[in-house]
Amino acid sequence: MAAERGGDSVSTRTEILALVRRYYAEKFGDRSFDAATDPVRYAGRVFGAEELCNLVDASLDFYLTAGRFTEQFEAGIADYFGVSDALFVNSGSSANLVALTALTSPRLGERQLRPGDEVLTVAAGFPSTVAPIVQNGLVPVFVDVRLSDYNVDSALLEAAVSPRTKAIMLAHTLGVPFDLDAVMELVEKHGLWLIEDNCDALGSRYRGTLTGTFGHLSTLSFYPAHHITTGEGGSVVTDDEELARIARSVRDWGRDCYCAGGENDTCGKRFAQQFGSLPYGYDHKYVYSHLGYNLKATDMQAAIGCAQLERLGDFTAARKANHATLLEALRPFEDRLLLPSAPANADPSWFCFVVTVCADAGFSRNELTRFLEANRVETRNLFSGNLLRHPAFEHIERRVAGELTNTDAIMERTFFVGVYPGLDEPRLEHMAEVFVRFMNGERADDGASGASSSRAG
Amino acid sequence: MAVVRRIPCVVEALEDHGEHVYTVHLRPGVQAPRFKPGQFLHLALDPYEPGGFWPDSRVFSIASPPEARELLAVTYAVKGDFTGRMERELRVGTSVWVKLPYGDFVVDGANDVVLFAGGTGVTAFTAFLHSLVSGAESRVLLCYGARRAELFVYQPLVEDCARRAPSFEARLFTEDRDGRLSVEAVWDSVTRLHAPIFYLSGPPSMLSAISAELCDHGVPPEVVKTDAWE
Repeated sequence: MAAERGGDSVSTRTEILALVRRYYAEKFGDRSFDAATDPVRYAGRVFGAEELCNLVDASLDFYLTAGRFTEQFEAGIADYFGVSDALFVNSGSSANLVALTALTSPRLGERQLRPGDEVLTVAAGFPSTVAPIVQNGLVPVFVDVRLSDYNVDSALLEAAVSPRTKAIMLAHTLGVPFDLDAVMELVEKHGLWLIEDNCDALGSRYRGTLTGTFGHLSTLSFYPAHHITTGEGGSVVTDDEELARIARSVRDWGRDCYCAGGENDTCGKRFAQQFGSLPYGYDHKYVYSHLGYNLKATDMQAAIGCAQLERLGDFTAARKANHATLLEALRPFEDRLLLPSAPANADPSWFCFVVTVCADAGFSRNELTRFLEANRVETRNLFSGNLLRHPAFEHIERRVAGELTNTDAIMERTFFVGVYPGLDEPRLEHMAEVFVRFMNGERADDGASGASSSRAG
Repeated sequence: MAVVRRIPCVVEALEDHGEHVYTVHLRPGVQAPRFKPGQFLHLALDPYEPGGFWPDSRVFSIASPPEARELLAVTYAVKGDFTGRMERELRVGTSVWVKLPYGDFVVDGANDVVLFAGGTGVTAFTAFLHSLVSGAESRVLLCYGARRAELFVYQPLVEDCARRAPSFEARLFTEDRDGRLSVEAVWDSVTRLHAPIFYLSGPPSMLSAISAELCDHGVPPEVVKTDAWE
């Protein structure tokens, strides 16, 4: 049993944190790279001693649930976007679930999303952009994407709108802002809700404005592959305080009370309100206005996030620089590789370097990725490819607006490699060199080395 | 409700209005978060150690305008142990902790509004009154009651509003001179407004009395917003 005490704990804590800094230098200080043996990851945690110190600091608080670091992190994210609210949740997928579910709240009156209402989205992406639509009894309407930037083809959006269409939920695919001019025009014209899945695009801008600030709600992911990390974690961002209150309720079991953990009666009316057919004055802490979840994260995760947020500017710059380096290296192969491009007005904080193998390239996507993997360059497909071809989504109630031709092409021919800030010059050089070898005719069976044979299948 | 932040503050100035009514001006140690007129803060006198539990605190309407976040003001009347401690302990230079913003008692200035304020309950409206602009189309009727004329703590603000905003009207009532603030006494002014929303802030006895009188005058309950406290 332990209880909180004063005494020497402050100096002990200082000693511990000094040791943590030493440990960081000893354990994580070596960033050397051996091209013959070391992998080039597509993503990874990039962190310094501050993250480790914050993590330990939070654990020494032993507050565990949302506390001072959560408050600081949520405030920091809200300030970064210049909005009123940011809610820390336990993943980007949870953020999407909370954001979409918030729009089904009865508190929204006429604008509440109801079962059967349609939500425009795309099938070329991550499943948790679409799953919350289905989970809430809504009908996803799939629109095809463009191969140039892998975002929704905005020319097809207007035709996809029906009288039942009430919302748009789209990701800024791999960091590239979708056509916000067209989408916002549609939102205003038809009075639609807009959720920006900004999970892969923290730091991206459109016409100079941060993505994640255009929609009624937006979401972030802090999984280690993302722009900043808290391990597991995500956020719902909004400048609408009513939506924030609803989202907070959905995140926190559906309760009406908004007191933080360990707090009581912050509203001053804990025992003085009437809800539903409950007795007057029923304890507000246990009044439920939504069918909610518990999707909160811990203060230890938030502590890491606080330190990561300080690095976001540098991270964004590094992603852009790394992307530019790879683009320059692969430019000579544009006849066979469709290289990434951002539309006018978009300034992406790239999630990755995405490539589509041209249909007439003379080799397949899998041949190229097999070669890259065999040479320790990690690759990923563009998530689900075509989500509707996956077992869980094949039979969902949905509408497909037109053909998903490009979505299928992405499933067949697209992949990406990393640009994350952990990639330094030697790693980028190695990656480029492996690409060049393949494009010059070398194949996996010729060039594989090390442990690659078991990973190349 | 925006992200709540806990921030250390120092008492910058104190105003003693007499009758154990005070206004405290607090200088935040870090940037205070955005808030809306009518929202409130928690004030703690005991030290708060980040990472620990929030100490005993009480809620006070933020009386200062949202545009002036570098100096927060609260007005209080001594009514119990906590406000008694505030009277005894708060001096210029005293450190306190606050957390804010809270509450959804926010006046919607897009409509004509009637504001019923009793005593220090007027602080729920002062931030809104600070932001009244001369060209506002919607009209504001403030019905402000106090025990005695000296306790119209915000009379200068009310007079300033009347000067700069033609759409603003104030009706002031002192119990010793005019009797208790009532709906009947201001109904002639109310009927000049278009579909007004009613906001009530003050002691519980006033809230229940005004609510009942509004009901008697045929005002639907859904247009009556009450800043009720335990």
